Amino acid sequence: MTLDPIEQLNEDEKRKYIKGKKLGEGTYANVYLGHSRRDPSLLVAIKKIKVQQQYQDGMAPDAVRELKYLRELHHPNIISLLSVFSSKDQNLNLVLEYLPLGDLEMLIRDVDRVRYGAGDIKAWMGMLARAVWFCHDNFVLHRDIKPNNLLIAADGEVKLADFGLARAFADPGRRMTANVITRWYRPPELLFGARHYGGAVDVWSVGMVFAELIIRAPFLAGNTEVEQIALICKQIGTPTEENWPGVTQLREYTVPTDVVAVWGKEAYMGRFGAVGADGVDLLVRTVALDPKKRITAREMLQHRWWRTDPKPTKKEDLPRKSGGAADEKMGADLKRRNGIVDEDASAPRGSKVARKLDFGQAK
Amino acid sequence: MATEDARYRQTSQFQLWSFSPTQLSSMREKTNAAARTRIAERLSSLPALANNTSAPTSSANTPDPDGTSTPALPAFLSAPEEAQLVTFFTSELLRAGDHAEMTDEIKATAAAFFRRFYVTNSIMTYPPQEMLIVALFFGCKAEGSFVSITDFVKTFGRENPEEILAGEFLLCQGLRFAIDVKHPFRALRGALMELASHPNVDRARLGAAETRAREILRFSPLITDAYFHYTPSQIMMAALSLADRGLAEQLITQTFHHVAAPTDSGADTPAASGTDGPAKEPAPRSDDKAQIIGSVARDKVLGTIEACRDMLGRELPERREHWTNRAVIKAQITPLRKKLNKCRDPERWNLVELQRARREQAAKKSDSEDGDPDDRDDSKANNKNSNNNNASDAAVFGDALPRDPKRRRVLGEGAGQKGKGLDDPFGGPL
Repeated sequence: MTLDPIEQLNEDEKRKYIKGKKLGEGTYANVYLGHSRRDPSLLVAIKKIKVQQQYQDGMAPDAVRELKYLRELHHPNIISLLSVFSSKDQNLNLVLEYLPLGDLEMLIRDVDRVRYGAGDIKAWMGMLARAVWFCHDNFVLHRDIKPNNLLIAADGEVKLADFGLARAFADPGRRMTANVITRWYRPPELLFGARHYGGAVDVWSVGMVFAELIIRAPFLAGNTEVEQIALICKQIGTPTEENWPGVTQLREYTVPTDVVAVWGKEAYMGRFGAVGADGVDLLVRTVALDPKKRITAREMLQHRWWRTDPKPTKKEDLPRKSGGAADEKMGADLKRRNGIVDEDASAPRGSKVARKLDFGQAK
Repeated sequence: MATEDARYRQTSQFQLWSFSPTQLSSMREKTNAAARTRIAERLSSLPALANNTSAPTSSANTPDPDGTSTPALPAFLSAPEEAQLVTFFTSELLRAGDHAEMTDEIKATAAAFFRRFYVTNSIMTYPPQEMLIVALFFGCKAEGSFVSITDFVKTFGRENPEEILAGEFLLCQGLRFAIDVKHPFRALRGALMELASHPNVDRARLGAAETRAREILRFSPLITDAYFHYTPSQIMMAALSLADRGLAEQLITQTFHHVAAPTDSGADTPAASGTDGPAKEPAPRSDDKAQIIGSVARDKVLGTIEACRDMLGRELPERREHWTNRAVIKAQITPLRKKLNKCRDPERWNLVELQRARREQAAKKSDSEDGDPDDRDDSKANNKNSNNNNASDAAVFGDALPRDPKRRRVLGEGAGQKGKGLDDPFGGPL
């Protein structure tokens, strides 16, 4: 069969890259190391989306979302989509920039070999905050911010990846699904089943990542949604009509009976004091229970913590891990399947199936 | 971060899918010419062609790129004829979207997908009745509505989900994988909110303007080339201007309100501002302002909006009836569709068969594209002999057999189901 122009174009795109060894294999995608044909030193990660057995309806939602948003968002702290092509068997291949140094989770967990301090945390958080601000400024919610979606480039730059759960801000009044964001990083409004929300959901996740960077363990690691709510109530405070007007109206609002007053800044100083009083101030603002009172991504960037000592570490001086382990990590991160099945809004009639999601695979 | 303008220039809508009218029409001409050549070649290589047309001649083997002087080949659609059919099918797409009660954004995205696809693909190559349903299906997904394909096809009275799924990837490829479409709907809401913030507004007038402008946005820009030529805000302003010219002008004059101060009369001669010393200190800022919100910019913007207004004005919402009017269809559309039925691409028209052929080809070429890197090096080596060689090699050995039944099927459809081919693409009257 001869090629039509559209097919030729695809063929040309595909020929720009040479696929190398497999970095990871998952149910959702396989990830390969690759390089540019013209410049073999230019490494890429090729994420080949699998045709999924359990999804009978054509191109899978995560692939559609990832394609839609990565195609439009160009920012140093967001993973770059360099090219897209289809292989002969009509699989979607996303050519992404190669990020060889693993992810933030790796660094956080490797307590024995990786040491880092307040300046390092400030640098990583700065890059994360810029990425989230950029998404929000472009009306995109990421909805799955967590340490293993924060990949690290060869030069130490942190890049937000995995847009498989992203969506555009909904128009006011239009409903969205509450079943997003990996549980430990999920804000109380989503745990209470809110169907209308905004950038504040991502900001909460940023706060959780911030806390985790400091204590080097997940801050609120509930095993179930109920447990997650209980942990939030205990560690941050119980959401009530007083501190969050309207919260009791949320359809899945239930809290433990013994009400805990919202902890003040001082209460955090003991455990999180490593980032100083200003750092703790920022942390507390990101975990405000009422999403309306939570700091926005833009306000985060204007916070005084960035301008107080210690200065953020230069990215090339940041602690890192190297070698094959990190390689595999990118493979593992990119191939992971994120959990959503159904999406909001009104489809052609008769298509609303709200299936529950399993985010348990994260850990 | 950059201005909104700078940001818009980062979008795939601007970078890949915005053209001047001249560019767009030359792309369509190119697509049309290339399709004629290819279809002529493919038709001539079919032995069955002899049975299908009168008097096989030796010239059947030497396809004429114009496709007109070779008696054995059918008459092809011209680029303007293709464009007219695309417009007709866009109206069908919008009706289908209404029928399925889809949101404005989904319908608009699907319409943009459909029209983009047929800029670089000929309507003679891929079947528009199927592709419009595919565009609606993928439009749902692109707008975040993930629906079951089985339910989806039922909505349109179709049985076979396979042909929609078979077209999905093709569509995506034709869109160059850029699936984010920016619409003017939110801009309209914003403009109305701004107008409503003024004292002494006539609320009834605003309400009427919004209703009418929205009605226009739901149809006029989608069925014309407006999305290729104008930004969402320009389209919004043009629609508002059609709904209530006074309100649109009010917004423009308020925005571009900068009036050059008398001392600034030299704004066009920058040298003047440098010579006058401290008194002229704020002059550069004033120049900037003049450039951004002064009368020159205003007139430029007004000119663009006026041009867009003209384009939308040719397809006002009342024209919905035009595109379903029997007499119009009979006189203008049916002849083109009959012509189309005779000149369509024998290798591409049947999406399901096409996909199957592709998969077989892929399976044959490299047993596991997913397998070891060694396998891939193999296929890489093959590729060196240029893709054309590769494809024709494959045709010599592998393709001959599977191609035969496929061709018969396509031709059979063309001959036997002409009536069905002209049917409403989504079932009976609504």
